[in-house]
Amino acid sequence: MTEGFQPRRRGGAVATFSGFEADLLRSLASQLIELLRDEAAVPTTEVDPFEALLDFSGPTNEPDDPVLARLFPSAYRDDEEAAGEFRRYTETQLRSGKAATAGALIDTLEEAGLPPQLDEDGLTIDVELDPGQAIAWMKTITDMRLALATRLGIEEGDEELWEQLPDEDPRTQVHDIYDWLAYLQETLVRSMGG
Amino acid sequence: MPVEYEESQLDDLTAADRPWQTVVWNDPVNLMSYVTFVFQQYFGFSRRKAEKLMLEVHHDGRSIVSSGSREEMERDVQAMHEYGLWATLERADD
Repeated sequence: MTEGFQPRRRGGAVATFSGFEADLLRSLASQLIELLRDEAAVPTTEVDPFEALLDFSGPTNEPDDPVLARLFPSAYRDDEEAAGEFRRYTETQLRSGKAATAGALIDTLEEAGLPPQLDEDGLTIDVELDPGQAIAWMKTITDMRLALATRLGIEEGDEELWEQLPDEDPRTQVHDIYDWLAYLQETLVRSMGG
Repeated sequence: MPVEYEESQLDDLTAADRPWQTVVWNDPVNLMSYVTFVFQQYFGFSRRKAEKLMLEVHHDGRSIVSSGSREEMERDVQAMHEYGLWATLERADD
């Protein structure tokens, strides 16, 4: 299992992953990209179909999917109209930004030697991130963790509950991945001086 | 420069200048080290200040991390969402 990230001499961070771990990161990043592109980011409040077709700006309603709702929370708590306007001007940009960042993570893994199909045992992948890439990885790892936490229903101070889950519970494995990502994130932040 | 403002103009002026603030809320997912790092990285805060604000988020459930014009605060909120932090903006006198 990976020891996580270490500081890189010229700034940034380095880590060695097993093929399985690198493949898992790629798979989580692809799922994130798929989700970000899933619900069409189009305005839903437009009445005139002609206007709606000509309107390339973003959506004004909170996404239905709870993961997307967490990734793109309302910017105004008590002002629906202002929240809608904010969303309209930012959500499309935020979505494509997050998708591009997750895509860059996949590119880094593949450039580091992760084959399109993992069928080799004993493969190790050395990843080297410059400071900008390190921050991009932190953002994507955060989005992955937010997604998993929302799907699992993680709440403040519920650690004991997860520890007590039996091994055969499918959530146990997902929670292990969630914890593993926390470990990666912690070592990455520390490598960047945090 | 006019010496006197009409009262209504004065009202407009104070309303327009009224500062807004960016609030970061506690969530059960983001690591304390990451939240501190983001505050340092994005706002350029010292580690000490970033940690103080992070602990406010952690213990009080929320912390005001920046204030300024509405436009500036919308930019900060958007940046926080980019980092995966839960942020909102509100009027400073709310």
